[in-house]
Amino acid sequence: MSVDLSKVRNIGISAHIDSGKTTLTERILFFTDRIHAIHDVRGKDGVGAKMDSMELERERGITIQSAATYCTWKDTNINIIDTPGHVDFTVEVERALRVLDGAVLILCSVGGVQSQSITVNRQMDRYNVPRISFINKCDRTGAAPERVTEQLREKLGLNAHMLQLPIGLESALEGVVDLVAMEALYFDGENGENVRVEEIPDDLKDLAEEKREELLDAVSMFSDELMEAMLEETEITTEVVREAVRAGTLALEFSPVFIGSAYKNKAVQPLLDAVQYYLPCPTDVENIGLDLEKDEEEFAVSNDDEDPLIMLAFKLEDGRYGQLTYVRTYQGRLNKGDTVFNTRTGKKVKVGRLVRMHSDEMEEIDSCGSGDIVALFGVDCASGDTFTDGKLSCSMSSMHIPEPVISLAIIPKDNKAQINMSKALNRFTKEDPTFKTFVDHETSETIISGMGELHLEVYVERMKREYGAEVDVGAPQVAYRETITQRAEFNYIHKKQTGGSGQFGRVAGYMEPLEEGEYEFEDKIVGGAIPREFISSCDKGFQKSLAKGTLCGSPVTGVRCVINDGAFHAVDSSDVAFQLASVGAFKEGYMKAKPTIMEPIMKVAVEGPSEFQGAVMGSINQRRGMIIGTTEEGTYTVVEAEVPLSEMFGYSTSLRSLTQGKAEFTMEFASFKPVPKSVSEELIKKFQDERKEK
Amino acid sequence: MGKENLVSKNPLRALGLGKEDLADGRRVGLVMARAGLGKTAILVQIAMNSMLHDNKVLHVAIGEGVDKTRTWYEDILALMNQEEAIEDFQQVVDGIMKNRMIMTFKENSFSPATLEERMEDLSQQGIFKADCLVIDGFDFTADDSASSVGELKNFMEKNNLKMIWFSAVSHRGDDRVSVNGVPAPCHSFDDVFDTVLLISPDESHISLKILKCSKACSVDAGKALLLDPATMLIKKA
Repeated sequence: MSVDLSKVRNIGISAHIDSGKTTLTERILFFTDRIHAIHDVRGKDGVGAKMDSMELERERGITIQSAATYCTWKDTNINIIDTPGHVDFTVEVERALRVLDGAVLILCSVGGVQSQSITVNRQMDRYNVPRISFINKCDRTGAAPERVTEQLREKLGLNAHMLQLPIGLESALEGVVDLVAMEALYFDGENGENVRVEEIPDDLKDLAEEKREELLDAVSMFSDELMEAMLEETEITTEVVREAVRAGTLALEFSPVFIGSAYKNKAVQPLLDAVQYYLPCPTDVENIGLDLEKDEEEFAVSNDDEDPLIMLAFKLEDGRYGQLTYVRTYQGRLNKGDTVFNTRTGKKVKVGRLVRMHSDEMEEIDSCGSGDIVALFGVDCASGDTFTDGKLSCSMSSMHIPEPVISLAIIPKDNKAQINMSKALNRFTKEDPTFKTFVDHETSETIISGMGELHLEVYVERMKREYGAEVDVGAPQVAYRETITQRAEFNYIHKKQTGGSGQFGRVAGYMEPLEEGEYEFEDKIVGGAIPREFISSCDKGFQKSLAKGTLCGSPVTGVRCVINDGAFHAVDSSDVAFQLASVGAFKEGYMKAKPTIMEPIMKVAVEGPSEFQGAVMGSINQRRGMIIGTTEEGTYTVVEAEVPLSEMFGYSTSLRSLTQGKAEFTMEFASFKPVPKSVSEELIKKFQDERKEK
Repeated sequence: MGKENLVSKNPLRALGLGKEDLADGRRVGLVMARAGLGKTAILVQIAMNSMLHDNKVLHVAIGEGVDKTRTWYEDILALMNQEEAIEDFQQVVDGIMKNRMIMTFKENSFSPATLEERMEDLSQQGIFKADCLVIDGFDFTADDSASSVGELKNFMEKNNLKMIWFSAVSHRGDDRVSVNGVPAPCHSFDDVFDTVLLISPDESHISLKILKCSKACSVDAGKALLLDPATMLIKKA
């Protein structure tokens, strides 16, 4: 079944905490017949909203899981994809923003543009996502949609203009004036389901005319037809204005603003109309793929059904029938029964069942085309995997996954928790490539590692809530690395003669710093000084040594090992002997190569009122941070800095007290850099003390 | 080949204002060009010369973001590394970047008073005490621009800054020039600048014309340096 792509909208809904995202989504699902009764977030019926966010999401004020919901408004199929706002979830954010074509930014009419709105808006800017804004909670005391629109211009730099005027505000909110169609809209019925169209009230007529003029001035540059009509003073039709608004929105040069109150069921339907009118369909936007044969060179996907297939798995869900994988198709067609290739694993997978989500039901389909979001059954893959039909080698998300920078030990409280924990970890590592887990053989503890404190806290919490796995958590540990800073030679003989067959192997060569990459091995042996069959043993020996450096026990990276000489014994040389000889050679060379400890450095952005700029910079300075720059935007300042992760623990508390809770920060991994001498000495001493204790 | 190679083709060096400039007194400089010709690239090279001499440089970008400004430095350093193959490049870069801070303002929120306030705050807390100031995107068309430059010059003297360099946009349609040949909008107060450079495209190349230069310059006014249009680095003779 082919779908008219102009009737498809893949959108994201983003908001600051408590802007009413859950309530709005609930109303959208109700008005699109996806659900048949409205349950409030904190309603007396105790049911809770359909899309009620996890308690943890509410506590933290962020979206953690990227969820997908489907509804149909009039003749348009709307896929709603949640976008996590926190940078700890880098990969998930990237993936969600790749899948959606447009977005609705929800703002509170009282709180206005808040820190999370700024973060989300910045991410959308980065991915060129056209967006419309909805100023919610206009029924609240202190509601000021015009002020919020002004903030959208000032703080977010959007060319924001209201397309509606409120009829009454705060408790007197009755409806809205549509400045495009120039009519008043009221929302009658128990749940505001009946939209009543009336003439604009007399007391608002002049203001509406004035605001419409301003709107037309702002959008006329996006439509020659509108410009001509304005110059010639001929009739301006609703369609012409809509086309101009749409053109400006798609070009990211105009951002329409809508108002209402989801809680009071006011003006949700016009917002759905706006999604249909102004946000892009899949063919309106350019999506970028990465060519794996050309070092991830970017190319625009075609959106053409006739071209070879490219699709991205962006969400996995455990269901009754096994794993349900949500995919977005970027070009080509997928038919039931087709075999697709996972470009990450290189494995072939047969697509047995293909479904499209329609309102509250799942529809079995035979094929899907470009721009579609559908779900596959029984396909084993990880979130973020790209599938093709085998004709292309490309990826829709970067294959370069950042290394974890922080780790935690987790200990299950009982046997049941142990089993559930394993299930949870298995699932999470599949979903999120930046989340890793392993067992430390020395302590037998399970270690989880990821991109930040919050990242790991969220997974521990999800383990508890979704899998009932209660675990004790150790203190967060920074993932240090060791590396060498200069070339050093080694020449090591491993010799053991203790009865039975002995062990002999000599390995000589050098190690040197590797600019890019973690490890390289080169064999420059001539004349058979080390027989062919033992070359890989040397490589294995070096790789074993990389797992734990001798300075502080952290993994060693950025090393190139070259062997150019050696010796063997006809009887006593073996795989094990050469592995051990290489371990010895590595140790010998390592200490001569001036090893150093590297720590993760985070890119930190602190946003807050300018009056606290000095205090914020002082706090960064105290934490060994290097301030890169400051951006002053009116009364708001963003301080950008690079700070060692080890100094960032507890920063949120300290920042809150420094700035009366008015500043917030985001942080993402930037690079590994050598630690200062004092820190290095401390880490080495700690490692040595721990070894002695064992 | 160490970090010295990073400044071997620096415009300040070519003018004889390299090391000496920083040691001997204060200078106010100006780079002018029509929009899009590479003023920022020249300012960044001037800043880098100072940073390499362990001077702290505050780069003020008006109307630009921190990331974009930072990218200018990264791009120019990468180009220099391409041409000169600097040894321990990353270490050199990490070392000199400690001497730089970027401060960006929206056009309507910049004023000399705000900048002074911010700089004093940084200095009092011992976070960053600038020796040199680079101001990119200053609006010289504003009525009070001459007095603003004067204010900044006073601030420079009061705080012992070694130099301030500005960039200014000249316009094709505006033929006004000062006696020294400094185009509008800076023609009427070119006396506040010790050195004025103009990026000028000809048919086959881009040159950096020296319109006015301080006594310390080893090159006379009226001469020009050739720039590589692809990199905006000075072409070797």
